[in-house]
Amino acid sequence: MALRSSHSRYLSGVLEAWNRRLHYYLGLYFLVFLWLFSFTGLLLNHPRWALSRIPNEAKPAYERNIDAAVGATDIERANDMIRKLGLRGEIDWPQSAPAPGTLEFNLAYPKQAFQVRVDLALNRATVREIDRSFWSALKISHTFSGSRYNANGTSRDWLVTSLWVIAMDALAAGLLVMVFGSYYMWYRLKRQRTLGWLVLALGFASCALFVFGLV
Amino acid sequence: MIAFAVSVFFLNHAKVDTGASTSFTVGDIRIPAALENARGREAVDRAREITNQVGVTGEIGFIRYSRREQRFVIPISRPGVEAIVEVDAMKRTAVVSRRATSLLESVAYLHKSPGPHNADVRGNWFWTRVWRMLADGTVYLVLFISVTGVYLWFSIKGERRNGLALIGAGVATLFAFLYGLAV
Repeated sequence: MALRSSHSRYLSGVLEAWNRRLHYYLGLYFLVFLWLFSFTGLLLNHPRWALSRIPNEAKPAYERNIDAAVGATDIERANDMIRKLGLRGEIDWPQSAPAPGTLEFNLAYPKQAFQVRVDLALNRATVREIDRSFWSALKISHTFSGSRYNANGTSRDWLVTSLWVIAMDALAAGLLVMVFGSYYMWYRLKRQRTLGWLVLALGFASCALFVFGLV
Repeated sequence: MIAFAVSVFFLNHAKVDTGASTSFTVGDIRIPAALENARGREAVDRAREITNQVGVTGEIGFIRYSRREQRFVIPISRPGVEAIVEVDAMKRTAVVSRRATSLLESVAYLHKSPGPHNADVRGNWFWTRVWRMLADGTVYLVLFISVTGVYLWFSIKGERRNGLALIGAGVATLFAFLYGLAV
């Protein structure tokens, strides 16, 4: 009996030590990510702040003769055009149908956006470029996932976006581990439990009011 | 924190069928005077008189007016519900399309609320303004906790080397991403 008790005390000690270590290891690795998302979250929440403004003026369009677009589908032809024009970013298809004999698509990543129109008969591409500031790019990175949950036609097709999404997922998972780990650490502090329960209940209640209470 | 973190997975990976909505028509709608010429917050306040008549509350996204068809389109949303009110000013009728959203979509809506678009009219619903304060408070608290966390870690001398390596790795990873995304 005493052996079992000392074994469980040992396991509990190991768990506690690793939980604490995991908490600050994750926190330190994700520190700058957390600051980036916190700062850009504030900018997104306050569009009237001077730093929040995104310059959206397009440069004058330019034209370029290119080799014929290669590919059986629009996405293959668009990717071929992107390579030939030396552009990069996530493809977004315009809502309206393109004119006959043309290929039209938008291409964007946080720093730049492009509107591309290719005359397939004349093999001529017209490109309009929108260049954004570094601050704007940081802000757009906060929401840049290459996919919108309420637009079924959108999907990720650029490797950098997929990697960025993995980073955002990892940050979210890391935060959840840290939050639940901190609940455990708080719960071990027996003297702080009553106040802790009160604060926890208040936090959950105020969030639940918005999630369930306003329907 | 949990709501913001969980909704990240939904925002990054979910797909929702937005076509599954129910609609109903309300007649004898009183159209506020000069709504078609109103701009910004004034337009939203007048459009609110219409949404109140059809029994829909929430944050008004924008007001679109088609002069040729004499129709107003007013999207309105809140956690749990998304609606579009289409008003025929000639017939004084409104068609309300309403879609109930899932729990996760509601949390994702809150994550994005109030959001950067249409700054002139954003926060036109009382609860959006309260949520903005709560979201801001969460961010300031996270910043405070992270700074105090760094202080607490730094006071553990035995962990300084590992911690500095992890901060360095985090900074290097973030800079690699920013080089790809923001340069």
